[in-house]
Amino acid sequence: MAYVLRVLKWFEYVALILVGLIFVFPFAWMFLTSFKSLGEVFQFPPQLLPEAWLWENMKTAWESGPFLTYFFNSLIVTVGILILQLITGVLAAYAFARYQFKGRDLLFGLTLVALMVPPQITFVPVFLQMSHWGWLNTYLSLIIPYAASAFGIFLLRQAFRQVPEEVIEAARLDQASEWKIIWRIMVPMARPVLVTFGLFSFIYHWNDYFWPLVMTNQEEIRTLPIGIAMLKDASSGGVMWNVVMAGNLILVIPILIIFFVAQRQIIRAFVYSGVK
Amino acid sequence: MKRSIHVLALLFCSLLLILSACSSSDSSSGPNASASSATKQKEVDVSSPKENNEPVEIEFWYALGGANGEVIQEMVEEFNASQNEVKVNATYQGDYYENHAKVMAAVAAGNAPDVTQIEIGSIAAFADAGALEDLTPYAEGENGLELNDFIEGLMGSSYWQGRFYALPFARSTPLLYLNVDMLKEHGLDPAGPKTWDELRQFAQTMSKEGEVWGFETPIDIWFYEALVFQNGGEILSEDGTEVRFNSPEGIEPLKFWKAMMEEGSMKMPPGEKYNAWDVAASDFTNGKVGMIFTTTGALNSLMEAAPFEVGTAFMPMKKSYGAPTGGSNLVIMAQSSPEKKEAAWKFLKWMTNTEQTIKWSKRTGYMPVRVSAVESDEMAQLYEEKPQFKVAVDQLEYAKTRPMAPGYSELQEVIMAEIQRAILDQATPEEALNAAAQKAEQILK
Repeated sequence: MAYVLRVLKWFEYVALILVGLIFVFPFAWMFLTSFKSLGEVFQFPPQLLPEAWLWENMKTAWESGPFLTYFFNSLIVTVGILILQLITGVLAAYAFARYQFKGRDLLFGLTLVALMVPPQITFVPVFLQMSHWGWLNTYLSLIIPYAASAFGIFLLRQAFRQVPEEVIEAARLDQASEWKIIWRIMVPMARPVLVTFGLFSFIYHWNDYFWPLVMTNQEEIRTLPIGIAMLKDASSGGVMWNVVMAGNLILVIPILIIFFVAQRQIIRAFVYSGVK
Repeated sequence: MKRSIHVLALLFCSLLLILSACSSSDSSSGPNASASSATKQKEVDVSSPKENNEPVEIEFWYALGGANGEVIQEMVEEFNASQNEVKVNATYQGDYYENHAKVMAAVAAGNAPDVTQIEIGSIAAFADAGALEDLTPYAEGENGLELNDFIEGLMGSSYWQGRFYALPFARSTPLLYLNVDMLKEHGLDPAGPKTWDELRQFAQTMSKEGEVWGFETPIDIWFYEALVFQNGGEILSEDGTEVRFNSPEGIEPLKFWKAMMEEGSMKMPPGEKYNAWDVAASDFTNGKVGMIFTTTGALNSLMEAAPFEVGTAFMPMKKSYGAPTGGSNLVIMAQSSPEKKEAAWKFLKWMTNTEQTIKWSKRTGYMPVRVSAVESDEMAQLYEEKPQFKVAVDQLEYAKTRPMAPGYSELQEVIMAEIQRAILDQATPEEALNAAAQKAEQILK
């Protein structure tokens, strides 16, 4: 019996590794390609490892445009959106989860509807509005339309609803203000959800190509994904895929770092929080 | 309690920081932001008296990436340094299709650039919509221009309903590019094939199943136009109102391509629009194909990128030689203020003068757009050293203007989608072209 269990366990591992490989392979391929020479990129049959590790590709990519500017723009936009979404999300979710007021369910329903509408549907009116306000080519047009996230409100509301009523009553008995209850009790107890949502939001907006493409047409305000897409055109004798991949590597490194940091956070949050 | 206030204070501080960063960037992009329709009225009123010697700033959106884009940037910098009346801010906006979409959106939003580069198949659409400034008064005015010096065959795309809207700039024509080393290796004439039959024969000789293809071309409207012209056909009637491509002359090119693909002597590069062109260029420089169709504008880049001798030849003939002209012209947008238009005209005039034309042509492969440039000693010397550059100019004799119709920029995408369906065996050539013709009737109406 124990033997059978052990074999089953092995099968499980093998299956997990195989599925894991499917996800890892494109990343690995991007990573390896970004160090190859152009000749090796087109070699057939392809080789896994580069003959010599060409760090110049990274430099070529970085220097083929104002990448420092792109990087800071991405950072400002992504962090700005994240902060706004957390503030609006926590406040709205607390109201939806804990207050009884007229029209609550209707408003929450509308929030859920917003969840189902992709930006491609709303961007024309938003674009015209931004243009009317003279916000095109500013951070405002990149941040403000995303100041509140329906997804974040929804996730946080579910998390807040799970906090036992007794905890809140106890706080109220101790004369805690509503404000204090939100930030000292609800937010720490919903930490895994906050971190998870933060991660989603960060990755989505860090990688977002569509919105900045529509809202900007000046070099100084463009973000990293736009810059990297333009790497594709950086040479007209065919695409230099090694340089494009090096650019992509520059794009994903911050995400990977944040992901690893946040992952530990999530686990810790799960272990220590009072929520099951 | 204290801690939570701290956290909040921190959050709001960072928020303030971001917002202040916003407002500072706001003011730096002020001139652009103020292009919104409400403020533009004022701008027009104020523009007439020139109070100070500040240069007039104009926005220029261009649509060529890579080495060619760098040349544009360099030329703009040189122009800015050469005088102090006009300052041009040049921004790359993606390929012709992307720039087209961005300019359209910007016109609707009231923040269009002052100058842009428009692919010649779309000029009628922009002109018909009233988005372009009529350049006739500028050309005839005191700071005018001798239009007769522009090559006549390239001027067809500059006029719409008798008005002059665009100056020829990055003008091209498709060429047959040859990997001369590969041709010699197979004992083929290094001057390249002259006819469709020879093209097919050459391609068969060089192909090696699954490894090397003799010939590759994007299934693109531009090359299709070329083959239809060579076959004695037309895409649209002269006045741009009637469909002519669903004829035997229009069907035959598709059958030709299909036959070559089926026998494995031709490769169709995957990818949407210009991505397919990039694939074809990569395959060519990496020795995976012997011959490709692409624009003369890629000549300099391909010669630099290829580790073998690159040759160019006329597009092979069927009933006659034939090719569409292509590329893009420079235009001034009608929305801009009179002051900016004046400045834009100075810039356009400079970009297309004989000296710049020669430089632009030498460094890219685009055709020199002026007679005085073609006949200059500098070009003569280049043609002697690199005869590949001369082929496009010589082919001009057989070239035709792309159809001029406001609907054509939309129609070309329809035709392209349908001919790709035919090549991919999802429809017969007849079915595909009839389907395209049916949609065309509606678009052209």
